[in-house]
Amino acid sequence: MSFNSFSFILIFLPVVLIIWYGLNYFEKRKLADLSLIAASLVLYELFSTNFVIILLISCIGTFGITKLMTKYEGFSKTFLATGIIGNLLLLGYFKYTNFFLTNIFAVLGKELSELKIILPIGISFYVFSQIAFLIDSYRYSKGTDNRESFDMESVSLSEYILYITFFPKIIQGPIALPGEMISQFRDVEKRKPSAENFRKGIELFTIGLSKKVLLGDNLSKIADYGFQYTYYMDTLTGLLVLISYSLQLYFDFSGYCDMAEGVSMMIGIELPRNFNSPYKAISVRNLWQRWHMTLTRFFVRYVYIPLGGSKKGKLRTALNVLIVFVLSGFWHGAGWTYICWGLVMGIMVVFDDLGIIATKGDIKKNYLLREKPMFIIPQKIGQILTYIMFLVSLVFFRSQNMTYALQYFKQLFIPTWPGFMYKTSAVLDIPENYLATTATNLYAKNMTNMVYLVSWIILLIISFIVIRSKNAKEIVDSGAPSKRFTAFLVILFVWSFISLSQVSTFIYFQF
Amino acid sequence: MNKNKDVNFIKNFIRTVIIIILLIGVMVFLIDPFFHYHKPWFGMKAVLNDKEYQCIGTLRHFDYDALIVGSSVAENNDNSWYDEAFNCKSIKAIRSYGATADLCYLLDEAFSSGNDIKKIFYNIDPSSLNAEAAPTFESTGCPMYLYDKNPLNDIRYLYNKGVIFEKIPYMLVNSYLVDYDENLSYNWAKWKNFGSESALGLYFRPKEKKSMMDETVYDDKLSGNIELLTNEVKNHPDTEFYFFFPAYSMLWWDGIYRTGERDAFIHCEKEMVKALLKYENVRVFCFQDEEEIITNLDNYMDSIHFSPEINKYMLDKMVEDENRMTEANYEDILDNMKNLSDRIVNELIVPYEENGQITYEQ
Repeated sequence: MSFNSFSFILIFLPVVLIIWYGLNYFEKRKLADLSLIAASLVLYELFSTNFVIILLISCIGTFGITKLMTKYEGFSKTFLATGIIGNLLLLGYFKYTNFFLTNIFAVLGKELSELKIILPIGISFYVFSQIAFLIDSYRYSKGTDNRESFDMESVSLSEYILYITFFPKIIQGPIALPGEMISQFRDVEKRKPSAENFRKGIELFTIGLSKKVLLGDNLSKIADYGFQYTYYMDTLTGLLVLISYSLQLYFDFSGYCDMAEGVSMMIGIELPRNFNSPYKAISVRNLWQRWHMTLTRFFVRYVYIPLGGSKKGKLRTALNVLIVFVLSGFWHGAGWTYICWGLVMGIMVVFDDLGIIATKGDIKKNYLLREKPMFIIPQKIGQILTYIMFLVSLVFFRSQNMTYALQYFKQLFIPTWPGFMYKTSAVLDIPENYLATTATNLYAKNMTNMVYLVSWIILLIISFIVIRSKNAKEIVDSGAPSKRFTAFLVILFVWSFISLSQVSTFIYFQF
Repeated sequence: MNKNKDVNFIKNFIRTVIIIILLIGVMVFLIDPFFHYHKPWFGMKAVLNDKEYQCIGTLRHFDYDALIVGSSVAENNDNSWYDEAFNCKSIKAIRSYGATADLCYLLDEAFSSGNDIKKIFYNIDPSSLNAEAAPTFESTGCPMYLYDKNPLNDIRYLYNKGVIFEKIPYMLVNSYLVDYDENLSYNWAKWKNFGSESALGLYFRPKEKKSMMDETVYDDKLSGNIELLTNEVKNHPDTEFYFFFPAYSMLWWDGIYRTGERDAFIHCEKEMVKALLKYENVRVFCFQDEEEIITNLDNYMDSIHFSPEINKYMLDKMVEDENRMTEANYEDILDNMKNLSDRIVNELIVPYEENGQITYEQ
């Protein structure tokens, strides 16, 4: 069950909220926690019972290892390594087995039909949460983490399971740290209904839902089509498809995160922020401080800093950045395209660090090659260049394989025209366009394609207005909305609500 | 102060959303373009063009005493032809591919609708005889919220962007602004071209000519389908059933000859006819061997789909009680068809092949 479904909005969420606040009202806090765990497992079980079993076994296993780690201090490093490796093996088996086997067989010159391994939903997120718990517990027991003041040893099994399975975040994150979540679950004040939290929750959920359903899902039609027919794409269409994909990716993921934050806020729990208007970033480094922020934080805390961060020389710093980004790419997907995307991102961040070009407002104290940057560009230029660089990298991220990615670059950089724009825009044959296309069909039959093209352009313009405006978090933090904005939110909610169900065209059933 | 603002926002938001949502639900309920709740109200017409979404609702809520049952080849029938010829009020029960189990499901819905069904005109597609004897609505992605009786999942109909932005305007326009003919429900002929060029262009001849399969190869599935259809006949002795085998083009016969299925199809048809003819309330007609029709590709859009004139022709023949299969002649008719198919493959299709008009499957 996803957030953007009737059953979640009309049944699951209201029931969970009533039970949660009801039990807390009667001070049955333990039961309230259990009700949240049960709700999370029910939601997760709707995808597959096997997923729940895998989740619970890995939770109990990781928690057990953490307890052993703190109990037998002499072997704590061994237990830590066991826990981390165990979790990575779990992730590796489900997510990367086919990738490794296919590549090994390819090297040996043989073909392999892929194994049927179904990837449990959210495993990439909860495995990282478990690793965070293991490492934070280890650091706490050793007293080596000054920032982690939370008493990790006091965490009970139910608190741990709640931290991992908490339904607003289990499917797509954010990757929260144990301390920031469990401390909130323990805060009695958070268990009381708060009008402010509800108001913020409703706003965040509505904004997220509309970003996902009204913008992301429509843009995805364009992106899916464009990347499927890469070989037919002309330069301008290719560029517009790529821009559409960059927007779809943002609206889809950040929309989901907004919904997650909204739902969590209604429960009284604040999730860590995952997006902060990334397309306003003025450098690639800055973009990664704004895009999927909790993943960046995870890699910085648990990979970059343990590798030495920026304290082991300039070359090593650059290498550490590259390692982090290649891993990040690989985390996003088991394929060479993702690895390439990560590498490209890493190279861009390293380039940012060289000190050749810097953006005004994003000047560091020290660069890898120089003390001060050679060229300083205005913020607007920085924003545009950053977006373009990210855009180009997305060719790797979205293409189905390296051959398609390289072909996409060819279509982009070797100008061809005309061709595919009308055909691509025709996928926007959506109910919202029905009246316009029917009317056009009546009076100017040859102009129907123009309606789709115009709606594509309008979609892009609206998307750019949205990404340039205040983001969801900024909106909710600015207090209760005006009547006009409330009306706007109502329209967005209702429009998104009726978009959850659509009439399919049975193309193959026409005859 | 801020708390009051927050509370006001929550109240206003929830109140307005509920009011709008209720209004939308009431609007969809009243107009009901899929006829899920009722037959057309307020002078609206039965605008029917989405069989997967509308057929089930019309069977449950419309007033009728006859049914035109079948696959897409039955869609171009004009209901008024049947109404005039048999003095009845007919509607269509259509399912893509016309699998027996799906059509029987629709028949069951019709019989339980409270209408006194006097006549059923049932188009038997040969491929329906060897299809799975279980309904395929769910497995093929049909909107089950319209088929089941669960009011909770009606939400997917009441709050559906396609219904609100597309189906309702379409229904209103066709009801009040243009001259929509309700008898042409699900009709697609006006958007298609019929002719040998189209028929040959959409025919992809199997590359390999396989040896003929054992004729009993589909018997397992056939027995299930025979049971389904005979049960309908048996359980409704007061209803007259007119079964008929439509006039597929010679291209279809060429295709099944090359896949080695011809004998199996003929065998399936014989078994089905034999089983049906045991019942007094059944008449069976065969138009497969109408040589003039099936060899004239100008009658076709592809290897199967013929023009509305052929629909009318078959109806006229049924009215005149011609082309009727009886216990005495059904085997001869189908054996003749087998002979005709031999002639198609060895003689009648050859000129097209020699002229390079046949495209082979890749």
